[in-house]
Amino acid sequence: MTARGTALLLAVLAALGLYVLLEYRRPATLEPEQAPPLLRVAAADVARIEVDDADGRLIAVRGPSGWTDGAGRAWQGDAPSDLLDVLATLGPVMVVDPAPENPADYGLGPDAPRLTLTGAGGTVLLALEVGERNPAWTGLYARAAGEQRVLLVGAVLHWELEKLKESAPGS
Amino acid sequence: MTAAWRRTALVTAAIAVLGTAAPAARAEDKAKSGSDEPWILDANNWQEGKDLLPDPVLKRLEKGEYWFKVVPVDPAKFRQNFAQKFWDATKGNAGKYDLDEKTCGLKDKASGKIPEFVFGLPFPTIDPKDPLAGCKIAWNFTFSGNQGGGGGATFTLDGVDGTGEYRKIKAFLHGMIYQGRLDGEIKDNPENLENQAVTAALEPQDVEGVSSLNKRYWDWESQDAIWAYVPSTRRARRVNAATRSDPVGGLDIFADDLNCYGGKVEYYKWKLVGEGKILAPVLQPYPFPMKQVNPSRFMVDTPYVKAGYEVPKSKGAQWWPQENLVFIPRPVWIVEGESTDPYYNFGKVIMYFDKDMYRIYWKLVHNRAGEYFYTAMCGYHFVKNDETYSAVFPSLVLGVNDKTSRAALGGRYQSSFIERNWDPNYFSLRTLTHLTD
Repeated sequence: MTARGTALLLAVLAALGLYVLLEYRRPATLEPEQAPPLLRVAAADVARIEVDDADGRLIAVRGPSGWTDGAGRAWQGDAPSDLLDVLATLGPVMVVDPAPENPADYGLGPDAPRLTLTGAGGTVLLALEVGERNPAWTGLYARAAGEQRVLLVGAVLHWELEKLKESAPGS
Repeated sequence: MTAAWRRTALVTAAIAVLGTAAPAARAEDKAKSGSDEPWILDANNWQEGKDLLPDPVLKRLEKGEYWFKVVPVDPAKFRQNFAQKFWDATKGNAGKYDLDEKTCGLKDKASGKIPEFVFGLPFPTIDPKDPLAGCKIAWNFTFSGNQGGGGGATFTLDGVDGTGEYRKIKAFLHGMIYQGRLDGEIKDNPENLENQAVTAALEPQDVEGVSSLNKRYWDWESQDAIWAYVPSTRRARRVNAATRSDPVGGLDIFADDLNCYGGKVEYYKWKLVGEGKILAPVLQPYPFPMKQVNPSRFMVDTPYVKAGYEVPKSKGAQWWPQENLVFIPRPVWIVEGESTDPYYNFGKVIMYFDKDMYRIYWKLVHNRAGEYFYTAMCGYHFVKNDETYSAVFPSLVLGVNDKTSRAALGGRYQSSFIERNWDPNYFSLRTLTHLTD
């Protein structure tokens, strides 16, 4: 082999080494981020749950010995905590419509049921308009207060809201 | 129009209106009067199903896709579908068992350890206020289903969409149960098993011989041992227990649909969230006879449940059962279950357990993102010979994927067997690897 051939091989080897080094040092591709949950604080930070819908207002207040309604009557079962646990893990499945012309098509708007969670100091931690179920009933349309975009969230939220209503004191 | 014609038209219209209204009124009367006359629940009187069916099922009832032959039964007589021996054992279990709070494992109060052998319901009374009620219900479910001790059947899995059947798989399942047998404890249990099973596909050719061996250990912590065998590779490999939530053969049905829950009790976090009444699917309200064919084996003949795609001009969805299935109004516990295994595909699962017989009749499944996507309806049949032996078997599962609007029917066998003295060596990798010899 000639000196020129040896030099060429060494150059190729060096280029390969450099490539391997750079490839090794390149940060791994990040997985696409999961959508954040609807409730971005710990469920334990929520002191009050309010649901306003056509049937009226439902209130659950966290107390030292469990949840009570607005009149201080104890809540049956764990439905308020279950709802919060779900909201703390449930992210939107997709944005269905970034700017709906007619939010009522999704069951949203002034007459839509509203879910409001507040903290101990009265800070609103989540305010959500809850719309209709989608045609397959796999999810619910929802919209954060003050936002235009319509989200699809899993129907487990519907299940939890129904549980909450059915277990309300005096229901 | 003459007065006579006007009268005739008026009478005809009145008959038509009454004719439409009458079924709903009759259904309501029967439901309320406690009559034991069968009645039909369909789109004409769908409102009657409001407190008797899960929401997604009610929706399809309203649309005319589903209909139900409702057969009210005497609860005391229905209870007698299980032998007196089972109920005596259940009564004797009062106060004997507790739960390991961390795992939801069954615990003998006296020893503080897992009991050696249990039969009958371990928790004869459920207090809905008990925070562990959901787990206790799940254990009662296990022991209700285990009483027969084992057997097998060759069955079909049929994928069905809006146009009819698109795939059929023929398979068999053979199972041997150690815990809960009315026939008593099997002393020779070196692997410390709760149960074991072999299942294999027979048809079509592309899946022939694909098989699995399942062993469930009688402890609080172990995962099920599952081996899958694929003839083309001639290898059996161990698979994760979470594969129970993978679709079977690409169909809208899951291994975890057997009896509506096929896992180990300890796999789920269970929570009792309500009580209600539900329409329970059964082949018939009362037990089928069993015919002895050798000292330990008994045959059971059951009718085939034809679905819409098999009956010309049938009523309802292509996958909806058309004959040989009736629905009994039954009191149920409504229980949520959620797996702690990150590889398990289901999120929150809602199940409806019979309060007395502890069968799960319906389950609604959410995926990990919280989307509801699937309902399974689990139908059963009872077998009894005298007051010393009884069993309950899953006759069919109808799995409906509401996201894709496709379904799968599993089971629907016409003949099955009860084996009261299995050779345990049958449940081995050797059996798996020699099925296609």
